[in-house]
Amino acid sequence: MRWTVKRTLGIGLAVVLLVGVVTAIVLGQGSGERAQLQTVRGVIGSEKLAFFADQRVKDVFAKHGLKVEVDPAGSRQIATATDLNSYDFAFPSSAPAAEKIQRDRRAARTYAPFSSPMVVATFDPVVDLLTKAGVVRSGPGYQTFDVQAYLELAAKATRWDQLPGNTAYPARKNLLVTTTDPRDSNSAAMYLAITSFVANGGVVSSQDAEAKVLPAVSKLFLDQGYTQSSTEGPFEDYLSAGMGKTPLVLAYEAQFADRVVRGDSSIRPDMKLLYPAPTVLSKHTLVPLREAGDRVGQLLLGDAELGRLAATFGFRTADPKHFDDIVKEKSLTVPQTIVDVVEPPAHETLERMLEAIAKQY
Amino acid sequence: MIRRLIPAVAVVALLAGCSDSTDPARPVGDAAPGTLRVLAGSELADLQPILDEAAKATGISVRFSFTGTIEGAEKVASGAAEQGFDAVWFSSNRYLELVPEAQKRLGTPAKVMSSPVVLGLPAAKVRELGWDTGRVGWAEIAEAAGARKFTYGMTDPSVSNSGFSALVGVAAALSGSGSALDAARIDAVAPQLKEFFSAQKLSAGSSGWLSEAYQRRAQDPGAEVDGLINYESVLLSMPQPLTLVYPSDGVVTADYPLTLLTSASSEARDAHQKLSDHLRSADVQRKIMETTHRRPAVPQVRLDGKFATKDLVELPFPGSQSAVDGLITTYFDRLRRPSRTLYVLDTSGSMQGDRIDGLRQALTGLTGADESLAGRFSRFHGREQVTLLPFSSSARPPLKYEVPQDDPRPVLDQIRATATSLDASGGTAIYSSLRGGYDVLRRQIDADPDRFTSIVLMTDGENTGSEGITDFQLFHQSLSPDLKGIPIFPVLFGESATTEMEQVAKMSGGKVFDARSRSLSAAFKEIRGYQ
Repeated sequence: MRWTVKRTLGIGLAVVLLVGVVTAIVLGQGSGERAQLQTVRGVIGSEKLAFFADQRVKDVFAKHGLKVEVDPAGSRQIATATDLNSYDFAFPSSAPAAEKIQRDRRAARTYAPFSSPMVVATFDPVVDLLTKAGVVRSGPGYQTFDVQAYLELAAKATRWDQLPGNTAYPARKNLLVTTTDPRDSNSAAMYLAITSFVANGGVVSSQDAEAKVLPAVSKLFLDQGYTQSSTEGPFEDYLSAGMGKTPLVLAYEAQFADRVVRGDSSIRPDMKLLYPAPTVLSKHTLVPLREAGDRVGQLLLGDAELGRLAATFGFRTADPKHFDDIVKEKSLTVPQTIVDVVEPPAHETLERMLEAIAKQY
Repeated sequence: MIRRLIPAVAVVALLAGCSDSTDPARPVGDAAPGTLRVLAGSELADLQPILDEAAKATGISVRFSFTGTIEGAEKVASGAAEQGFDAVWFSSNRYLELVPEAQKRLGTPAKVMSSPVVLGLPAAKVRELGWDTGRVGWAEIAEAAGARKFTYGMTDPSVSNSGFSALVGVAAALSGSGSALDAARIDAVAPQLKEFFSAQKLSAGSSGWLSEAYQRRAQDPGAEVDGLINYESVLLSMPQPLTLVYPSDGVVTADYPLTLLTSASSEARDAHQKLSDHLRSADVQRKIMETTHRRPAVPQVRLDGKFATKDLVELPFPGSQSAVDGLITTYFDRLRRPSRTLYVLDTSGSMQGDRIDGLRQALTGLTGADESLAGRFSRFHGREQVTLLPFSSSARPPLKYEVPQDDPRPVLDQIRATATSLDASGGTAIYSSLRGGYDVLRRQIDADPDRFTSIVLMTDGENTGSEGITDFQLFHQSLSPDLKGIPIFPVLFGESATTEMEQVAKMSGGKVFDARSRSLSAAFKEIRGYQ
C-alpha cells in the first residue's frame, strides 16, 4: 500500500517493534496457516483505503483468520450503482448511503465504528482574508467557517480578486470551496447536507424545501466546473499544489489528522482547518452483506487494536478514548467536541437533490 | 528534446512493425505477472528510464500503447480498453471523467507528477513585449497576439492534451466570470479568442513534434514562429531555453494520474499499487523532477529552482462533456485560422480493388461519416478549403471545395460524392502532379494568404512519370518562401518509395505517416492534427 512504508517509519520504534512481534506471531503460525485465511471482499468509501491497506490492520484481521480485500468507490456509487453481489460488505462513508443499502439488501444490522466531521482546509493568508470578509469566525476553541456568510458571497458569484484589500490571493476565479463531484462522491453529498441546511434554515425534509434551496446550492457545484470523483483528489492537490490551485478544500477531518499523525511534513505550518458552522459528521457505516462481512463489522467496532489503529488514521472512534489518546499523543489541534453539528437529510431527499444537480451538468 | 523522443519513436515503430501479427484489442499482449499493461498518452514515453528503474526496484514492468486523450476516452468508454489493458495513464483524467461510460470504468488513480501548460517565448521577445517586469494575464496575451506582436505554435486540442489545456485555459480566463465555461460563455468570448488564435502559426498532433518543428523553423523551411504553448516540462527541456510566461489569472495543469481500470485483475491491482508507491516515493519524485522537469506530486518533495513560479492559480475546467466538445468544435469551425488542405492522391492502376476502396473510405470518413468522437473532430472544418488532386499518368483537374462555417453539410456531401467516384487506372506521375498542386495553392494563397496550408501526398508505389525526385527538389528550392514553407505529409501505402517520401517530408518541414500496417483512414485522421 501506498502509505505503509512511510507510515511505519513515522510511527516510532515502539510500534515498529510491535508490528514486528505481531508479524512474527502470524508468520510463526506457519505458512500453511496463512494460506487458510478466509478472504472477505468489501467495497468501501475511498477515504478508508489506506486504513485497510495498512499492514498492521491486515495483521489484526489475519489474527482473526480474515484477509480483507477492498475496492474503493464513491459512497453514492456503492449505494446506487455498484453490483454488490460479489462483496461481503459495503462500507460507505455516510449514514444515508448505508441506510439505503441496508434497506435494499435487507441487512439485519449495520456497524458505525468511526466517524469524521466535514472540515474546510485552507491556508493562513486565506484565513485572514475570509476573517475580514466575515466568513471565518472564532468559535469555541476553534475557528469556524460561517456557511451563511459564505452562501451570501457565492450567491453574488464573488471572485477572489473582488474581496476588498486582497493582495494575498487576487485570483480571477470565483470564491468557492473545492469539492468533489456531487454525482459520485460522499463528501460532496455531505457538503450538500450542510449547505442545504443553511439555505433552508433547517434540515430539508420536503419537496418544497428542496425546490427552494436548489438554485443556491447547485451553483456551489456547477460554478466549479469539473470536479474530481474521489475526496483524495482535491485534498492531495491542496497538499501538493497549494493555495494557487485549491485555496479552500472540503475534506474529512480524518484526512488532515491522518497526515499530522503520519508526521511526513505534508502539513505545513500555514495550513489551517476550519469547521463549517454548522457541519455534519460523515458516519462511516458498514453494512454486512454476508456472514463474513458481519465479522469485519464486529471486529471494527469491538477490537481495541483496530480502534486504536483507526484513530491513527484520524478517525473519531466509537469509543472516544482511542481518538483522544492520539490527539494527546500527537498534539493534534482538533477540538475534542464540535458543537454545531446537524443531521444530513434522509437518503431519498439527498438523492433527489443530487439528481437535480446532476441534471444541470 | 531529441533524447526525449527516442523511446516514443522506438515504441511506435515497434507497435507499427508488429501490429500485423498482434490482436488490435491486445496491442501489448495478454496479462502477465509482473506486467502492467497501460493505455497511455504518448508524452509518457519520456518516463521510460524511470520506469526501467522501477522495474528493477519493484519487479513490475509497464507496457505502453499510446493514443490521444479523446481516442483513449472512447476506448475506455466502449469497454475496448478493458480487453487489453490494466490501467490508463494520460496527462489528466478530466476528459475521461466527463464521459459517464468512461468514468465508471476508472479505478484508483495515483497522480505521479504535474506540469502546467504555459507560453514560452525567447527572452528578447518577452522584453520587447514588456512582460519581463511583471506578470501578465491571458487578456493581455490575447491582445498582443491579436495585434501580431508575437506568433506561436500549439498542438491540436482534439488529439493532444497540451493544446486542449491551452484552449480551455485561455477560454476560461477570457470569460472573466471566474466560474466554469458553458456554451453561452464560450460564445461571449469568441471574438477575443479569435484574436488570440490568429497568432497561431503552427499546429501539430503531438507536443513532441511541435517542439521539433519549432526548432526547425528557426532555420528553414517555413516562416519562423516566435514561441510555443506547451507543457512547462517540454519548454524547460528545449535546447535553446525559452522564457516561460505564466499567465497571472491561471493555467490548466496536467497531473498524470496512473489509473487502474475497475476491470483489472487482483495481480494487476497489486502491480499498480506497488508501482504507484515506488513512483510516488520521495527519491523517485525528485528524480522525475530533475530528469523530466515535471513538478512532484507529493508535498514532501519541494520544487527546485527551475520552476520560476511556484503557486499557480488553476483555472476552472468545464464540468460537462458537452461544454468541452462544444469548445473544441467552436475552435475548429470558428476560432482558429482556417485550413487550406491539398490532397494529392494516387489513382493509378495499382490502386485498383481494396486500395482505392480504402482511399474512398478515408476521405469519406473526413466528411463526417466517421461518427466516433475522434472522427467528429477530425472532419473537414468550417471555413476549410479542401482541394482534391487525383493523379495517375498525369494530374487530373483539381477539385476545389470550401466548407461553409454555418451549414457545412451540402459541401461535405459533395466531397463525399467525389471521393466515392474516384477510380484507379494508368501510371504514377508523382512529382509532376505534386508540382501542379503548387499552381493551385499559389492562386489560393494570393487570394487569401492567412491560412494553415498543407499538402497530403498519398501514393502506393514508385514514380513512373518523367520527372523524378531530383527535379522536384530543384523545383522546391526555387519556390517563394510562402510556398516553400508548406509542409508535405506523405502517406506510405502499398509499395511506396520510403526514402523518397522521407526526403519530400524533410525538404518541406512535413512528416511521413505510415498506412502500410493500418488503414488509410487511420493515417488520414492522424494527419488532421497537423493541418
